[in-house]
Amino acid sequence: MPPHEALLDREFLERLERLTIHWQRSFAGLVGGHNRSHFAGGGQEFLDHRHFHQGDDLRAVNWRAYMRLDKMFLKMFQIEPRVPVRLLLDTSASMAAGNGEKFKFARQLAAALCYVGLVRLDTIQVLPFASRLHEGKSSGGGRHRYRLAAEFLEALQPGGITDFFAVVRQYLNEYPQRGLVIVVSDFLDESGCEKALQFLADYGNELMLVQLWSDEDRTPPWSGEIDLTDAESGGHLRIQVDAEARRGYTEAFDLFSAGIKEVALRNEGKYAGLPTSMPLEDAIFGSMVRARSLV
Amino acid sequence: MEFLNLSLGQFLALFGTVAAFSVALYLLDRTRRKQIVSTLRFWVEPGKAAPVTRRTRIQQPFSLLLQLLGMALLLLAIAQFQFGGRRNARRDHVLILDTSAWMGAALPNRSDLTLMDQARANALGWLRAVPTADRVLLVRADALATPATSWELDRRNTARAILESQPGATALNLSQSLQFASQMQRRSGSLPGEIVYDGPGRISTRESNNMSLPEIPAFRVLSVDDNVANSGLRSVGASRSATDTGTWDVVVRARNYSTQPKSVQVTLNFGNVPQGARTLELPPAGEKEASFEVHTRAAGVLEARLYPKDAFAADNYAALELPELRSLHVVIYSNQPEELRPAFASDSRVVADFRRTADYRAEPAGLVVLHRFRPAINPTGNVLWIDPPADNSPVPVRERVDHPEGLRWTPDQPLTLGLRARDVQLDTASIFQPGPNDIRLAEVDKGPIMVASVSPDGRNRNVVLGFDPFAGPMRYELATPLLLANVLRWVAPDVFRDVDVGTQSAGAVSMPFASDPGGVQVLTDSGVNLPYSVRNKTLEFFAGQPSRVRVIAGNSERVYSLTLPEMWDVKWTPPANVRRGIPAWNDALRRNRDWWPFLAILGTGVLLAEWVLYGRFSPLRIRAVKQRLEKAA
Repeated sequence: MPPHEALLDREFLERLERLTIHWQRSFAGLVGGHNRSHFAGGGQEFLDHRHFHQGDDLRAVNWRAYMRLDKMFLKMFQIEPRVPVRLLLDTSASMAAGNGEKFKFARQLAAALCYVGLVRLDTIQVLPFASRLHEGKSSGGGRHRYRLAAEFLEALQPGGITDFFAVVRQYLNEYPQRGLVIVVSDFLDESGCEKALQFLADYGNELMLVQLWSDEDRTPPWSGEIDLTDAESGGHLRIQVDAEARRGYTEAFDLFSAGIKEVALRNEGKYAGLPTSMPLEDAIFGSMVRARSLV
Repeated sequence: MEFLNLSLGQFLALFGTVAAFSVALYLLDRTRRKQIVSTLRFWVEPGKAAPVTRRTRIQQPFSLLLQLLGMALLLLAIAQFQFGGRRNARRDHVLILDTSAWMGAALPNRSDLTLMDQARANALGWLRAVPTADRVLLVRADALATPATSWELDRRNTARAILESQPGATALNLSQSLQFASQMQRRSGSLPGEIVYDGPGRISTRESNNMSLPEIPAFRVLSVDDNVANSGLRSVGASRSATDTGTWDVVVRARNYSTQPKSVQVTLNFGNVPQGARTLELPPAGEKEASFEVHTRAAGVLEARLYPKDAFAADNYAALELPELRSLHVVIYSNQPEELRPAFASDSRVVADFRRTADYRAEPAGLVVLHRFRPAINPTGNVLWIDPPADNSPVPVRERVDHPEGLRWTPDQPLTLGLRARDVQLDTASIFQPGPNDIRLAEVDKGPIMVASVSPDGRNRNVVLGFDPFAGPMRYELATPLLLANVLRWVAPDVFRDVDVGTQSAGAVSMPFASDPGGVQVLTDSGVNLPYSVRNKTLEFFAGQPSRVRVIAGNSERVYSLTLPEMWDVKWTPPANVRRGIPAWNDALRRNRDWWPFLAILGTGVLLAEWVLYGRFSPLRIRAVKQRLEKAA
């Protein structure tokens, strides 16, 4: 994408300001977030009482109860922690297959999520990956930081072979703090991605899986004799394509997508499947809002 | 089998080129393509090896066949492919378009359109149904059948001639038109097609009684509805009154062409001055006359009008030119004028001037009569010598005899016309010694007593009577005024000619005729002699256009203003086995021997089917892909 071409225009960004990245799990984190947690802390809303222990903050003691019962109880408040949101962006070669629409769509979607998080004062970290995690870009502190995140996304180049297992292992090593993990990818890993994603969820992360596909990925339009080349591995396949073959291909793809979705839902995460032919606005305000990924 | 536009070699060469180009494009389009995809995993069924396909050049042979077939059909259409030879394929049709005068009538309930408009529309409709390989000859039919085009393949020329056709002035002669069309078809050399008559079929009673239609295998009638009520003038005739030469007796004849009785009014104007009006109650299909008297000696236009106006205006008005009543100035030198006065005063066309012989002056006049007198200087011009002095006669006198015997008149001379009396008694007569150029008109046993001569330039005529018919017992004979009348007519025939003026319809004109056929002249206004025939005491001639024709026969002249349209009498009923109306589209298709429209349609259909079934951007494919995408979304 040329540098001068912005991923998202201003009007679209203004429309994004009413959205919030939503997650369901409770994560420990710094005070100041907007998602409630069952962990007690210095919040504004009363949660429960407990016995006072040494070292507790005296400001939280319920002095009225002490005068009445002659025991010290501590008031606990519900905290709204600031949980880091990490966005794993697939930059493998398969994302650029065809006319590159998938990669462009993925960066636009990542930019939109960055902006939504920045507006809500979330800290969002974009981590591009292919066979391993690349150097990411952490953004936080308000919408005026969006420009840096957008420039980072615009500078990304596709390439490499997808290896979800290596990426997840690297991620868990480098980012042990649990939180919301948004994966924007086509999930086309020859060795499979389900186990790696399950591994990621088992470590306490909440998954938001956004599967992208181009029209050619799901419903190939070709017919006749075609020499297919895998964009990542470079493997060749000479095949006679007819209506039956195309139908079987689509069924296999849908089965694969269902597997991705099952991983997300099984781990109380969220899933959104987005074809690149869908307008970005419909993808965000339609599919992702319906999936409760954004509210 | 024949190609009208291309030879077989040209067709094969063209088709080979197009087919080779198409096959090349097809193979280029259907050859194996390389495609980079995101993954290969979904192309390979689990547990099975990747499919290995055999390279096949032609992936969709039916598509290629359809393309080649479509292009072959289109090329055949362009080449105008036909079965059989060109001569056998072409037919010649004759379209007889009725251009009779009646075609100028307005259509029923459509005053802005005429029968001619309807006939033109019918003709154009039929022309569109004619196969393009067939030739058409357009014949305009009124009293004469006139070809308006040659055998035409170009429909535009025929259509232009149809649109340029206008109603004529004469009635339809259908038999002649059909015979002419049939004859033209036989001479064309191709297969005969249809003979089409386009019109209402109004013909005269004479033709209806003697109708003999030729044998026409394919006869079609395009009928024109002409059920309109019409009444019109049939003729207007004017002749000098027998009692008063300054009066014209005018007879106007009107006819009712409808099936209902009708009351009409006939008005007559002369020089824009009303001369009278008559109301006529016309029976269905009947005629009546109205008589008028017009007092005038001057020339002018006599107009007859018929009211009320109806759908056919051409026969509601007629005009004829009345000639001036001319006279002959006669100067009579006589010392006994009372003997001559009754004879010369009996004819109002004669202006007699009696003078004494002593008052003689050699001045010009229409006729100079010298009664028993010869002046010193002979007069110029026409002279009638009555019993000149024997010693000074313009014709030498051989002798003078009393009571001559054996009077006889020379026959076949205009001056002796009607003179048959042999027992006329003459008191005395001079026997002339005529010259070689003198015409002997009357003789007695001893010699000629009446001679006439014409000057070499033919302008001056002299008649010399060796006796005095106005003296003695002969003055009471009928021969005397008859002889004088003959002399007056001979010296001034234009003045004494009986003039009848009439207006009637153009076309074939018949008039009763009892004179000598040798002296008849039928002249147009421009002086051109029209051919005529005399049969059974009837003179017939034909005028195809409105014009004025003079018929001069002896002492009478008839002037015909042929300005009224020639009308019909009866409606012709076509035979039951004729084809009627414009051919329906399926009939036109059935008769059509042109294959190229069907080949073009079929070729286009085949190519469209190929595109729909196999085309990359066919609507079926696009719709299927769209449905899949929507389902996926």
